[in-house]
Amino acid sequence: MNPEFRRNLWLELTPRRMTLMVVILALAFFAAALTGQYRPAGLAEFLYYMIVVIWGARNAAISVVGEIRDRTWDSQRLSSLGAGEMMWGKLFGSTIYNWFGGAICLAVLLIYGFANNGLVATILDAIYYVAVGIVAQSASLLASLVAVRRRQSHTRFEIFTYQVAGLIAALGAFYIWEAADPAGSLVPRKLPTDFIPWWGQRLDARVFLLISLAIFTSWTLVGCYRQMRLELKMRNGPWVWASFLIFMGLYVAGFDAWLTQDPKMADWSTVALRLALAATTYATFTYVMVLLEPKDRVLYRWLGTQLRGGRLDRFLGSAQAWMTSYLATVTVSIALIVWIGVSRPDALWAQAFIVSCLGFLTRDAGIFVLFQTFPGRWRGDFGAVIVLFALYALVPAVLDGLGLKAALALFYPQSTEPVWLCAAAAWAQALVVAVIAIGRLALTEKSAVAARA
Amino acid sequence: MIEVRDLVYEYPTKRALEGVSLSVAAQTITALVGPNGAGKTTLLRCLAALESPYTGAVMIDGLDTREAPRQIHERLGYLPDFYGLYDELMVRRCLTYAARSHGIAPALAGPAVERAAKRVGLLDRLESKAGELSRGLRQRLAIAQSIVHEPKVLLLDEPAAGLDPQARRDLSALLVALREGGMTLVVSSHILAELEDYCSEMIIIDNGRVVGGKPIKVREVERARYLIELATARSDLGDFLKGAGIDVLEADEHHALIHFTANPGARAKLIRDLVTAGFEVASFGGSSKALEDAYFKEVHKEGGA
Repeated sequence: MNPEFRRNLWLELTPRRMTLMVVILALAFFAAALTGQYRPAGLAEFLYYMIVVIWGARNAAISVVGEIRDRTWDSQRLSSLGAGEMMWGKLFGSTIYNWFGGAICLAVLLIYGFANNGLVATILDAIYYVAVGIVAQSASLLASLVAVRRRQSHTRFEIFTYQVAGLIAALGAFYIWEAADPAGSLVPRKLPTDFIPWWGQRLDARVFLLISLAIFTSWTLVGCYRQMRLELKMRNGPWVWASFLIFMGLYVAGFDAWLTQDPKMADWSTVALRLALAATTYATFTYVMVLLEPKDRVLYRWLGTQLRGGRLDRFLGSAQAWMTSYLATVTVSIALIVWIGVSRPDALWAQAFIVSCLGFLTRDAGIFVLFQTFPGRWRGDFGAVIVLFALYALVPAVLDGLGLKAALALFYPQSTEPVWLCAAAAWAQALVVAVIAIGRLALTEKSAVAARA
Repeated sequence: MIEVRDLVYEYPTKRALEGVSLSVAAQTITALVGPNGAGKTTLLRCLAALESPYTGAVMIDGLDTREAPRQIHERLGYLPDFYGLYDELMVRRCLTYAARSHGIAPALAGPAVERAAKRVGLLDRLESKAGELSRGLRQRLAIAQSIVHEPKVLLLDEPAAGLDPQARRDLSALLVALREGGMTLVVSSHILAELEDYCSEMIIIDNGRVVGGKPIKVREVERARYLIELATARSDLGDFLKGAGIDVLEADEHHALIHFTANPGARAKLIRDLVTAGFEVASFGGSSKALEDAYFKEVHKEGGA
């Protein structure tokens, strides 16, 4: 048996705790039966969500963070357990007590479901309930591992935020299930169609959504595994993240038919729309990852050293996900610009717009890196987010109020006259931010040496 | 067994280690000493492949910590200065988990647990909960967890901190036994006097560098030192001792500090010779703190340079 899972069994599934769970659940069902206020299946479902999803997400979130807090994480990192063993042991070991209670609730639910809805619906229900638990717990574990990499402290509030990440993921799974379930009634805005257009095909909505749910759950688990590898000092390399980006690009690009319903987009070619969807997806991942990943100045200096030394394999082996995402955004955007140039020579404004989008993306990523080089309270992502909020919302609002609409091109992508004005402004800002950030990274190396001396 | 070449390690705002190079032979105990914040713990964490060097290389048993951290973890035991235990688990289960998570097969885990518990004197506590142990016993359990898989290299960060004198003596004996059993040990400590009991080499870390650039052979500094005091001044005391082939460290007309064998018979003969030569010997006593003196000598030399 997986040693980490077994250790958790020793700690979590003691006879006393198991007895306590059985007694409490039995009392709850007994009380519900006595009062007649709740159906057993409704109560079982409520208790399942409480025990497996909400409480289980917390236990998953604390499974690594708790080890760090209790100073046992280093000894675990020094074990010879593989990243997979450690991940599965933590994910299902730390939540085994929740699954024990959840199994009792699930048994009640399935007995009720079998009696009322038949075997097939009961099996599908069982798959959904197990899946929503795994989604919530694995997303919480992933959020906590990302936070560990960022060397954040582990207060109760922060653990709560990791738990919330799991609950949001579970909510997504719940929504998908409700949308896919013909009997679902809890979500008022169900899909208006039984079919989903994707890559020119009309696919059964239920099948498509459930397969999507399974795939995204798998990617979440892959994410946990890769974060665990980093914690165990193993190198990840760029290929799995690149595969994820390719998958996401293809997945999102398939929804082009939804865009053509918009009259403004009706005359755009399918290829251009698909490239635009993929580029937007990659840009979104660049923002998300540059915010989430630890922007370690020492790592950046080390990457710079590898680049200067021509050791591309080492650079790629340690490159962060936001860098790969940025590269994917630029690549697909260039493909889009070329495609527009060939298919719509009259749409120069669209090419300029894409170039300006890339410029602002480069500037924004640079701002996140730059803020890691500042001393004291200015250092960190919060300062970067405030600056971006000012650049995208506050200053444009003031300029707009003053009637200086032409100046807005300095702050976010838009069509301008002359056509390349916005793009030039964006790239000029990006260049300035990049030069300052790289300069400060080099400067911090000197000051680090000076601090030792 | 351990090779460190030009190791540089950086924290975001500080370079913690600068060009550290050292070599630790197999089956030795090396002391890592230095003031607080000197970089001892960072160096140990780099040796344990818990931190990756900025530049330079750390090789453990021929493996690079950057290239093969998990293989190194299989060969290594590490006791951090601040460690935690699973307080709710019994000692036997703590050790079983440590054994199994280090790849020991289920059938072999039981004997490995018994062996580790016996080595640290915890055989009679196997069924106690870790949370119920005293500080000294917790330290023993932590060490047992580190050695249950019979690592080739054992790194200990301040293992004697907070232990009573008897527990420290037991720890010294345990470390010597582990070395004799084939392990290579690196021990970080502030308590220099105790290191003399079991260390073969001392590496002084200060300000992120190895002071003096190389380890000090403890056997060369731990030769017994004796202070001779005369009741009546004699300016030829130093010359007399040197003439007798004795290593004189310092001498004036009242005192002489010498390196001399710890053999009681030889000491008795020297006293006899001094008295026979007309020296009025008021006292002849051992001067300890050899390692401490060597430490301060090196640190001051570095500071002066």
